[in-house]
Amino acid sequence: MASIARKNLFEDIPRFLVAQAGIMFAVSLVTIQLGILKGFSRSTAIVIDYARADLWVASKEMVAFELTSPLPADYINKSMAVTGVDRAEILLVRAGRWRGPDGKLSPARVFGFNPDGELFAGWTLSDGTLKAIKQPYTAIVASGVQKSLGLDENRTGSIGGLPVTIVGTAEDVQSNASSPFLFSSLETANAYGDAEINSSINCIRQASGDLDCANSFKSRPLGQKNGELAPPKPLSLSDPISYVLIRAKPGQDLGQLKQRLLTALPETQILTQAEIAAVTRNYWEVRTGVGFILGLGATVGFIVGMVVVGQILYASVTDHLREFGTLKAMGASNGVIYRIIIEQSLWMAILGYIPSMGICLTLGQWTQMTRGIMILIEPSTAAAVLLLTVVMCMGSAIFAVQKVTRLDPAIVFKA
Amino acid sequence: MTAIDFKRFFGKMAPSSLSPVRVMTKEKAIVASHINLVYRNGGEEFKALQDVSLTVKSGEVHLLMGPSGSGKTTLLSILAGLLTPTSGQVHLLGEEITQFSRPHLAAFRLQHLGFIFQGFNLFPALTACENVEVAFHLKGIHQARKKAIELLDQVGLADRCNNRPQDLSGGQKQRVAIARALAGNPQLIMADEPTAALDSQNGHAIIELLRSLAKTSGRTVLIVTHDPRILDVADRVTDLEDGKIVTKLTKAKPGQH
Ligand SMILES: Nc1ncnc2c1ncn2[C@@H]1O[C@H](COP(=O)(O)OP(=O)(O)OP(=O)(O)O)[C@@H](O)[C@H]1O
Ligand SMILES: [Mg+2]
Repeated sequence: MASIARKNLFEDIPRFLVAQAGIMFAVSLVTIQLGILKGFSRSTAIVIDYARADLWVASKEMVAFELTSPLPADYINKSMAVTGVDRAEILLVRAGRWRGPDGKLSPARVFGFNPDGELFAGWTLSDGTLKAIKQPYTAIVASGVQKSLGLDENRTGSIGGLPVTIVGTAEDVQSNASSPFLFSSLETANAYGDAEINSSINCIRQASGDLDCANSFKSRPLGQKNGELAPPKPLSLSDPISYVLIRAKPGQDLGQLKQRLLTALPETQILTQAEIAAVTRNYWEVRTGVGFILGLGATVGFIVGMVVVGQILYASVTDHLREFGTLKAMGASNGVIYRIIIEQSLWMAILGYIPSMGICLTLGQWTQMTRGIMILIEPSTAAAVLLLTVVMCMGSAIFAVQKVTRLDPAIVFKA
Repeated sequence: MTAIDFKRFFGKMAPSSLSPVRVMTKEKAIVASHINLVYRNGGEEFKALQDVSLTVKSGEVHLLMGPSGSGKTTLLSILAGLLTPTSGQVHLLGEEITQFSRPHLAAFRLQHLGFIFQGFNLFPALTACENVEVAFHLKGIHQARKKAIELLDQVGLADRCNNRPQDLSGGQKQRVAIARALAGNPQLIMADEPTAALDSQNGHAIIELLRSLAKTSGRTVLIVTHDPRILDVADRVTDLEDGKIVTKLTKAKPGQH
């Protein structure tokens, strides 16, 4: 059948284009907001995604991946002793104060792991090798943070007075919610974590009764040469660790293994990799309000789109009121007329959606390349936005539909 | 069956035949009894029709005439089931439509009524063929394109299938509208001032077309008009004045078969 909806839509091309621009704006807004949220959310637990552990042993107090309480180091041995455990590896998550070659401070997140291990470092290196961090006081840096660390071609800096030499770059691991990531051996990371700046406060009570205090800092001199440094001491059983990564023996029931680990390791929680990633993502989305803010943006886009489409449809129906009246007089049921309006809204949805997706995908590549901000448009996001667009356009058709419902077919004889 | 010489009207080759409507069993196509209609606007009441009774026989071309504001359009709307009278009954083809629900009325109109309007009321975005096809689609009749072309052929516009209304003259538009009204062979055709927007030549051609359609196929045609020339083709005329019927004039039937 000749589609009245489609023909009405294309009858007035300039108006159609204005309508499509409005819809594209709305769809792009929704897509970008959701894409940024998805990209942000993905990045907050991407380090976990790269790991290849079946289970993670974490402190009972763990809130998110980077916010946890220490575990005793001997939990590594206790884990190994649990039946069904094939492999266990330590992961340290430490905070450090990075001083770049320009002398500027920046917070840094240092991960310590065994470079010979198999469970943690699943990411790819764009330069350097994993084994290179066996050298004391070396680290692999996450790509995209070189600028915030002020790294130059020498690729050196210091943490808490201890030197850091960058020996590799890991691709696509940085969390957008965190300080720049550095990956080191267990010993080096442990040393960076301990290398706090000493400070002391001396106070003298004045005759007036006031306290006169002097705060003095002592940090290791910057110019210190590597050779004069003792290599970092190996991890001892008294050192706190952050996580134990577990690989189960083949064919193990993870639920039962979880139970056995819980019994052997008091004050812990045992999570699968997917669980700890989900907990972390949820923390960032909810705790930081970023989910709310980006969700709000998406909602605004949705409403804007609905209003735009609603207005266009309403205007279009008003313009064609006599035709709808004629259809009604001829005996068309309301259903037939609703179908025309809804079909028109669906055309608008689809024709607005396709170019918008193209724009967003291009924009996403551009922001990723130039800003390191990921607008992650997965097929599921694209599908969700399509659904939202359709709902948006159909929802806005309600206004127009009401106008025809109330339409008196007797108007057809009125001049 | 009589073949109509359309060439006489439109300079077109005549179609071989017109499809007949199924044999009418009801002698009276339209019976209106004691129709009153009161328009209420705010506190004001206006009696547009007062105790109007009217009978239109099957196969008749019946005119509704009268001065402007006399209630012709109002009466036509009621007879077509588009407007509910304040009181009174309307029987169409033996069924009392004033008892029908709105959806039932719509279904009845779809099956039995064809409309022709002063302003044509074509869909400007659709071609002539598509305008006619819409009626077939609404009625759930297949092969709409083929049948639309047949109907356009009957009204002498077969070559205008792909033209949009904006490319057609007023008379051509009204012929497309007539083709649309004929889709699915409705037994009743109702027209409100079908010639008012046309020049005299086109107007007369339209009137002749309507009459021949009625005469050849047994359709009942009810026409509201100011156009005195239409009197020539009418079987009966009802005059309205101030919402009341004033005279009933039975005419000699020109060109009767
Ligand atoms: N919706 C309405 N509300 C109030 N009054 C109305 C309404 N529609 C029509 N009328 C009045 O009813 C009377 C009859 O109107 P109607 O349109 O039936 O006249 P008509 O005979 O068709 O006139 P014309 O020849 O000018 O088309 C007129 O006085 C008109 O003003
Ligand atoms: Mg009128």
